[in-house]
Amino acid sequence: MTNPNRRPDAAPPPDTAAGRAREALARKWSYLLSSVIVVALSRDELDAELSAQLDALCAALHGEPFDSAPFEEAGERLVALGYVNEPGLRRTVDVLGKGLLALEEFHAVDQLPVRVVGGIGALTCGFTIARARVILDQQESMQRSLLKAARDAQRDQRQSEAKFAGIASSSTNGILIVGLDGKLAWGNDSIGDILGHQPEPGTRLVELIAPQSIVVFREMMERVLAERGEFEREPMQLLRDDGEFARVTLTASLLRDDDGKPSHVLVMADDDTELALLQGELRRQSLHDVLTGLPNRQFFTTHLETVLRRADPEFGVTILHLDLDAFGLVCNSLGGRVGEHLLQHVARRLRALTSREQAMVARFDGDEFGIVVENTASTPDIATMMAAINTDLGEPTYVDEHGLAVSVSAGVVHRPSPDIDPTELLRMADLALRQAKKDQRGQWQLFHGNQDTERRRDHALAVVMPGAWEQGDIGVCYRPVRVLATGELAGVEALLHWDLSDRCAELADQTGLILPMGEWLMRIAAGQAQWWRQRGELDAQFGVRLTRHQATDADLVSRVAKVVEETGMPHERLTLCMPVGVLGVADAAENLSTLAARGVAIALEDFGLGPRDLAWLSELPIVSVCVPKDLVRRQDPRSAALVPAVHELGVNICVDGIETAEQAKWWAEAGADLAIGAHFGAPLDAGEFLKNL
Amino acid sequence: MAETQDWVPLGIDTNVPSMARVYDYILGGAHNFAADREVGSQIEKLVPGLPSVARLNRRFLGRAVNFLMDQGVRQFLDIGSGIPTVANVHEVAQNRDPAARIVYVDKDPVAVAHSELMLSGNENAAIVQADMRDPEAVLAHAEVRRLLDFDRPIGLLMLLMLHWVPDEDDPRKLVAAYRDALPAGSFIVMTHVAKDQIDESVDKAAEVVNRSKSADQMHMRTHAQVSALFDGFDLVEPGLVGCGEWRPDGPGDIADEASMNMFLYAGVGRKD
Repeated sequence: MTNPNRRPDAAPPPDTAAGRAREALARKWSYLLSSVIVVALSRDELDAELSAQLDALCAALHGEPFDSAPFEEAGERLVALGYVNEPGLRRTVDVLGKGLLALEEFHAVDQLPVRVVGGIGALTCGFTIARARVILDQQESMQRSLLKAARDAQRDQRQSEAKFAGIASSSTNGILIVGLDGKLAWGNDSIGDILGHQPEPGTRLVELIAPQSIVVFREMMERVLAERGEFEREPMQLLRDDGEFARVTLTASLLRDDDGKPSHVLVMADDDTELALLQGELRRQSLHDVLTGLPNRQFFTTHLETVLRRADPEFGVTILHLDLDAFGLVCNSLGGRVGEHLLQHVARRLRALTSREQAMVARFDGDEFGIVVENTASTPDIATMMAAINTDLGEPTYVDEHGLAVSVSAGVVHRPSPDIDPTELLRMADLALRQAKKDQRGQWQLFHGNQDTERRRDHALAVVMPGAWEQGDIGVCYRPVRVLATGELAGVEALLHWDLSDRCAELADQTGLILPMGEWLMRIAAGQAQWWRQRGELDAQFGVRLTRHQATDADLVSRVAKVVEETGMPHERLTLCMPVGVLGVADAAENLSTLAARGVAIALEDFGLGPRDLAWLSELPIVSVCVPKDLVRRQDPRSAALVPAVHELGVNICVDGIETAEQAKWWAEAGADLAIGAHFGAPLDAGEFLKNL
Repeated sequence: MAETQDWVPLGIDTNVPSMARVYDYILGGAHNFAADREVGSQIEKLVPGLPSVARLNRRFLGRAVNFLMDQGVRQFLDIGSGIPTVANVHEVAQNRDPAARIVYVDKDPVAVAHSELMLSGNENAAIVQADMRDPEAVLAHAEVRRLLDFDRPIGLLMLLMLHWVPDEDDPRKLVAAYRDALPAGSFIVMTHVAKDQIDESVDKAAEVVNRSKSADQMHMRTHAQVSALFDGFDLVEPGLVGCGEWRPDGPGDIADEASMNMFLYAGVGRKD
């Protein structure tokens, strides 16, 4: 009895006064419930069930500290008994609210009313969550039944017409018969109610689907036509004629004619709008996420405030912001329902994995979760924790016969100051998560103050950049492009220079300042080139790199034309280098072709990273490709292996960022043609550059 | 395209409720559609105690099945079984004896499809889609013959069923046709909306049902008329009584509102 953490046994000895009082309360509960619920239990079984539940609740009330979880579980168990609806909940709240407060055994329990109120609240919460889930399940089972009935009727030719009439009219579900060509053959009146108008026969079904659902829809129809299962089911949105979207769940199934050949697709739409509204309301009102039952972000944030204050200063707290890798892939390929099951699984596992710690697991939005751990001497370190999570989730779990394994990435804030604002703390964890996900999966990243500082510094620089440019702090400098084999000058690259940052173009690209500034760079460089050429000092090819924004700028061609006209620089003497990644954007490819047609030499930057990179070379008039610095430094064999293929297409290869003679030699042997980098000459202002040549 | 669509009837009247699903709604389930809920809540407004009636009927079902089990019956034919939800015949019977055999019969295709999904994997239970007004078809159905042995006692259940059968269809003759197929020692279990026990609000409720587009129309009957349906069966104690009064076993078997206990007549008869 000296240990305050000791929990009394769940059930007190039955012959004690306390035992008898509890039994009486359980009986009263059972008695009151039995006249409003429908369950498969006999009277004795119901008595026994409720008596066991009551014991668990009493144990929770005695516990130190008080934990309301058993109450929440009791709410869930009530729903699981059968048809226990709102009247059942009302009677439960009534009888337990009064009854627990009156039990003698609790007279010495500290703050009993607070505990009972908290407990009953948790019970109600658990009940509501479980009930919402049960309703969804039952509704879904009816949709399946409706679909099955429709298929059965269709098979049974003798009575099919009469049966189908009964089914098509038996609900407010939209029912559509669609030809194998995707055109509507017939739709019932309810689909008209959902869409706001009756779709004409001959309409293509895809025209009724909202843009955001098109991909899911296409894939679902492909699966239907391939007949992978008896039917397919996906939540999606339809276009209403008032411009709004109708949330529905589409169920589709292939129909066959008398000869067993596919003839049509039966599509059913059940209207989820009301359901979604209801779920939204529940989500707003409660502190828990309806899908997983975990606390939501709001609850988590409030909880953070408390734990920051009460945490042991010696160990502090750790916050993890988790994100499932490739969750979108799961949803897009297997459907939203599978995704939901997966989230529920992850929620359960995360809770189990943190069960030894004083920790809260919450679901944020979508596939993001949060964990806050109040550290103790025995808390494992973050690497161990993350490894345990990824090992556990790496074990396949079976959802609708798909064995799914996932990995999570995490942003971690370890031992933040207790005075920090919870919102700021979540921002830090989120930032670290973005870092962790930058180019890998299944990794975690600790929040570093300096990362944040760097980002903020970037922002600050980007903001003051226009002023710096106007005041002449940003200039243009030049560096040589050399033939790798001989070292002779192949051209000159002009680039922006600013003392405050070596990522001048990148920052200007973030704000859009790059458009005027990039044009200015071209004008200065072209003017300089003409000046040197006219004086007979240097006649070389001049290159400028374009950022993403510039390459896709609709005015790029006219900007270049203007520069060429003003400076008199021949088109042929200008090389423009575009990031290969933007070529998928229509404007960029068009810009490139137009400029090439006028004689501008086009080079591609960041070459070798994307699967389509080689394909672009045969499609577009490219002169040169540039291998990015990090691949050059790593002496990446895969990039080197591309050299023959690139040469075969008549394109030469430039390696960027050559720093040592050894690198130069390696790439020369690999067959690269041109090189830029410290080894061949640093960027210098015009005068210095010329002197150094 | 249109000519291949002859099996799709055009111009169907939507929004037709099904009494099986209305019952589930009143019982507190979500195995129903908007049209069903609308009729259900209209009726509930007129007869606020109706959920108790549905619940009492379900409780009576449990007591009656247990009584038949006590009498040694292990086979059940449940006609008008509706949406099989919580505490249904097979749950009660197979809970006591997993070898108990149950055939459900309903004409609503959605209820049938739902039952098929629920019963898949239960080799001692099946659902048959048929109209109870065609006893030959029901009794000759392959599933009925496969699961039920007509040489041993059978429990015939007709709960909340016969008030959907109009006098023109001669419910007495229909019950007799089933009775004749049953061996001695078999039982009939019946509940039926009572005409002479209840106030006018029930007439209004019946009107809601009959005005709705549902194919089912309600025909209430008096004590004498319902007793006549037990022709050829001996009513066991306590005879044809209010649903709540038939061998109540616990607090949940009787409604708090006395009138609700009398809303339905309930009885169990034995064939000698």
